[in-house]
Amino acid sequence: MQLYQTNFIMVGGFDMSNSIKTVVIVGGGTAGWITAGRIAAKHQSNSATTINVVLVESAKVPTINVGEGTWPTMRKTLIALGIRETDFIRECDASFKQGAKFARWVDGSDNDFYYHPLVLPQGFIKADLSPYWHAMQQGKNAGTSFSNAVCFQESICEQGLAPKTIRSEEYSDIANYAYHLDSGKFSKFLQKHCLEKLGITHVIDDVVAVNNHDNGDIASVATATNGKITGDLFVDCTGFASLLLGKHYQVPFIECNDVLFIDNALAVQVPYEHENSPIASHTISTAQEAGWIWDIGLYNRRGVGHVYSSNHTSEDEATQRLAEYIGPTIKELSIRKIPINSGHREKFWHKNCVAVGLSAGFLEPLEASALVLVELSAEFISEQLPQTRKVMDVAAKRFNETFLYRWQKIIDFLKLHYLLSKRNDNKFWSDNRDPQSIPESLQEMMELWRYRSPADFDFTSNNEVFPAASYQYVLYGMGFKSDYQHSQHLLNNWDFANKQFTMTEKMIQQAIKQLPSNRELLDKIKQYGFAAL
Amino acid sequence: MSNLVAVDNVNHRKIKINVDKIEAHGATMNLAPAVVAEFTQLATHYPIVLAKDGDTGQFVCSALLGFQAGENLFWDEDQWQAVYVPLQVRRQPFFLGDDTATEIENQSPQYVVCLDIESPSVGDQGESLYDENGEESEYFKEAKAKLAELLRGESENKAFIDTLLSMDLLESMAIEITFVNQESTRLNGLYTIKQERLTKLSSEQLSQLHKHNYLQAIYAMVISIGQMYSLIDKKNKRSK
Repeated sequence: MQLYQTNFIMVGGFDMSNSIKTVVIVGGGTAGWITAGRIAAKHQSNSATTINVVLVESAKVPTINVGEGTWPTMRKTLIALGIRETDFIRECDASFKQGAKFARWVDGSDNDFYYHPLVLPQGFIKADLSPYWHAMQQGKNAGTSFSNAVCFQESICEQGLAPKTIRSEEYSDIANYAYHLDSGKFSKFLQKHCLEKLGITHVIDDVVAVNNHDNGDIASVATATNGKITGDLFVDCTGFASLLLGKHYQVPFIECNDVLFIDNALAVQVPYEHENSPIASHTISTAQEAGWIWDIGLYNRRGVGHVYSSNHTSEDEATQRLAEYIGPTIKELSIRKIPINSGHREKFWHKNCVAVGLSAGFLEPLEASALVLVELSAEFISEQLPQTRKVMDVAAKRFNETFLYRWQKIIDFLKLHYLLSKRNDNKFWSDNRDPQSIPESLQEMMELWRYRSPADFDFTSNNEVFPAASYQYVLYGMGFKSDYQHSQHLLNNWDFANKQFTMTEKMIQQAIKQLPSNRELLDKIKQYGFAAL
Repeated sequence: MSNLVAVDNVNHRKIKINVDKIEAHGATMNLAPAVVAEFTQLATHYPIVLAKDGDTGQFVCSALLGFQAGENLFWDEDQWQAVYVPLQVRRQPFFLGDDTATEIENQSPQYVVCLDIESPSVGDQGESLYDENGEESEYFKEAKAKLAELLRGESENKAFIDTLLSMDLLESMAIEITFVNQESTRLNGLYTIKQERLTKLSSEQLSQLHKHNYLQAIYAMVISIGQMYSLIDKKNKRSK
């Protein structure tokens, strides 16, 4: 175990053309291990140009179990780390997630719900079905929701079905999927994999000081018992503490609680009623008077929590809403309160230090954006790892531009969920509709979408997080209608559209016949596992 | 439907098996489970493929008999039109059952021979299971030997498949077939030997395969894929 570089040059002898040899990751939650794993999987070798990856974590700091929901990107991440899907599902109590069901968001009534599925609308790459769906709302087929008319996944979710069968190959799907996972177990699982398979150096110690080169770069972190750990690039995965980027470099935190009002979460782990209870294959998000409740089905339990705005309701009220949602069993469960400070650092990569995970920022978990941002950051760092200190400034600039854009887009997209609600049971909802609270970028988009549907050309960056389809699902799910009166001439391919609507219906029938229940498939993965091919 | 009962020389002393009716059990199979020990014989008639069990998702070795569920192209005029019939068909109407009544902890499971009394082959004509003294007939002894071979085949198959997977020797088959009547079908979910990989095995790997006598089975699988042509031919003739 080599912790101290022999070529460590003291202050003054720093050379910008030195190659990047050692990456030090501070913090060992999911962010730390995913970043360490992605860098090691790509860059560690037996050759002279290998990159050393060192992860330092404190034994004392408990990791925050955020983000039990993921995006389909997680499949790519696990593949890149060389992890078998069977092992991951078994050891992290993971289950399949095929999008989100938003209940009571429009008017709060019993049958008020819509889906944001993970499968694109039928034929989306060739043509946009939304104008045709709008036109149908006046005809005899009126009443079919947007997501149900253009996508077969809502029906799969409503029937509690899995996105694939036990005969499917690992990571392959019949319907696009992500996972729900136990983040505590996931973090331990990643650690084990990284240490056994990827040759990462693990130091369990407290970081007590940060030492600079004279150019302001971090030279080393001082630990309580292992001395100085030197490195060329430092990744801050220290969670909310933001030890390097926040505390050491004082990079400001940009709050966005003027846009997103949620500032507290009450989280609870709910056991299943019995061992055959169905496991929902989607996240259920149920709007409340001053926030919403998440409900995530893991293999062995549910994770449920109420996020709310403390400016609009009290903790007692919120606890009461949570109790009503869960039922009498809540008396036996312990509720954990987690404060949420929505926002992000002004930049994420400063000098030779980059923040990944909560140290970079956090937003309310409405669209499970926490882990995906970790994955995207880790991917960027690994794929675009600068070769020398000199080019690192360019990489840093690009990283900052990319991720500032991504945070802003996520904030816009989260806000979109609140804009269109007709709820009036609490000022929470009318405050959310107040134009003062809506980012200008989103207001402009909403203006465009009055007359046409969100389209890929509205999202021109290579770094988009949500495709136009996601905006369509939320807009039209929330009851928004684009007005096509000025562009009737564009509805010129009814043959194609009707074919897609029929195809969706056919795919629903096929899926219902073919797919096992989510519980049944997960049981089989526990018992048999997917075949290795 | 089948109805399995444990065979004994009291209740089944008089029962007879009409061997001509046994193969009818496979009349609507399009995949017949196979054991490695019979691969060389199977390869003379059938493509030998791997498919995934619908229940467990695990690989099983099979002889391909038809292109769609329920289609056995070797079943014609109430006869199995091939000299070698898969063991899994010939074993009918006998099965092995776990004898849970005599199961003792930490001991290998005890098996009992069961008979499907609903089988069309079971009646008062054909081969007896026991002689007048209640002793097992030669026919019944042979039937039990087949069951033993299938049981042995189960663990042999698993070891064989695990070896193929560990050496990256499997790949999925993507075959699009157009028949003479212009109907086309896509064969999904079938796996075969990755021949390109076979030529790149190290001498250690080859000697490991040789030691377990797997090379013969592997090449039988490779060659058997040629039987796909005769299977297509059968389908074409049938659809005329």
